[in-house]
Amino acid sequence: MSDDDFLRVTDVSKWYGDEQVLNEVSFEMNRGDVTVLIGPSGSGKSTMLRCVNRLAEAQEGSIRLDGEEVLSPDLDVNALRREVGMVFQGFNLFAHLTAVGNVALGPRRVLGLSEAEARDRAEAQLERVGLGEQFDSYPAELSGGQQQRVGIARALAMQPKLMLFDEPTSALDPELIGEVLEVMHGLVDEGMTMLVVTHEMSFAREVADEIVFLDDGHVIERGPPEQLFENPEEDRTGRFLERIASHD
Amino acid sequence: MSDPGTLALAAIASVAADLPAGAALAALAFIGEAADWEFVVSNADYLGVGALLTIGITVASILLGFVVGFPAGAVEVYGDGLLERAVSIVGIVLRGTPIVVILIVMYFVVGVPQINLGVVSISSAMTAGILGLGLRSAAYQSQIFRATLSSVDDGQLEAGRSIGLSRFEAVRYVVVPQALRRSIPGFQNEFTIVLKDTSIVFAIGLAELLTRGYDLFSEQTTAVLEVILFISAIYFVLTFTTNRALDYLGDHYAIPEGESA
Repeated sequence: MSDDDFLRVTDVSKWYGDEQVLNEVSFEMNRGDVTVLIGPSGSGKSTMLRCVNRLAEAQEGSIRLDGEEVLSPDLDVNALRREVGMVFQGFNLFAHLTAVGNVALGPRRVLGLSEAEARDRAEAQLERVGLGEQFDSYPAELSGGQQQRVGIARALAMQPKLMLFDEPTSALDPELIGEVLEVMHGLVDEGMTMLVVTHEMSFAREVADEIVFLDDGHVIERGPPEQLFENPEEDRTGRFLERIASHD
Repeated sequence: MSDPGTLALAAIASVAADLPAGAALAALAFIGEAADWEFVVSNADYLGVGALLTIGITVASILLGFVVGFPAGAVEVYGDGLLERAVSIVGIVLRGTPIVVILIVMYFVVGVPQINLGVVSISSAMTAGILGLGLRSAAYQSQIFRATLSSVDDGQLEAGRSIGLSRFEAVRYVVVPQALRRSIPGFQNEFTIVLKDTSIVFAIGLAELLTRGYDLFSEQTTAVLEVILFISAIYFVLTFTTNRALDYLGDHYAIPEGESA
């Protein structure tokens, strides 16, 4: 794979008041890469993810996506988010809209597609995530796994060049995690560029090109999964992975 | 006991007090005095005009209240700086001022003009009444919408932003539709209150339903209860049908909920 530095995060720092939550975080991704951010809760990994589409504001550093500076004050954030899909831990589906309505809203209102075109696109995306039977169901009528798949379809409908996953399976009952991971596996196979925060270590191990271990706002260690899982260089990484493993 | 208002109160009180006893029958006979019902019926058109005035002022005030109150509530939730503070302060002042004072200020101090709409012209008292009641309703409605807009989970707005909607669009397409649904119960309350508070416009010389009733039973003091009952029935029908219509609206637009949710 060529080294195109599609996403280059350089020395990103962020504070909430006096508390520093990100401390000079750096990593790079190429187009088509899957990078997984891991770390204990409160380590800053979700915040890092949210800085990439500016749902959180980094105060220092640089995030370059496809050659453009994401942190520039002149950046059109709506244009940025059009191209960067996001999947939330708590799904955050629009409660008043059906599955199709959820997925069609962006194409309709952001991309300016006609009602019919937006619906067609929404149906195609829902079929892509295996929800061909649930077009007209409301979020509250769907299981958690189905809701999260609608969430993924909603992001995909914008045809993003980068997908952000913020603990997409953490709010799910164990028996529903598999269906969401399956959809994510499918995206990896299609060559989607994905930045994923997750505690699903087996998923990380299988699909990640690189794992970034964050603790206390610092990148402690990063590298391919084999290296991180088999021979972590840092004690903290090893201890964290052992703790996670003992819960599986 | 020559004051008709006192008489009316006494009549209602006696009915309420006597109902459990056998005297309820006597009360019914009293209510059923044929001559007095004839008096009500013969003045039905007089009261009807009052009812129309009441409906007109209520509808106009509620609409004005919505058109002004909804944005005001939104500014209180999403706005900041000077605008947010100004809206909030105006709301506090309007809610904290007795409605009679608001009406008198509108009519005598501000001196709103007569409005000609070609076909109909709205007297300056009517304009003052609608403005007064409407702006006060806006102040109350803004709080209904402030509460329901804030009650929509932040994740909804964030998800809207994440697909590239601007803040305004995300509020418009994601938060507002949910907030409006949750506003219906509060709105039913507000409608009922405005409907009954329209009687206050007598303070600036407008003869709506209750004022006309008062005029009638002052004229024929034996018909106090009949007039009051007749007027109450009109208020009840107005309140009941509107509330049922809003119930229907609420049911129709209700967001389906699953068993497992």
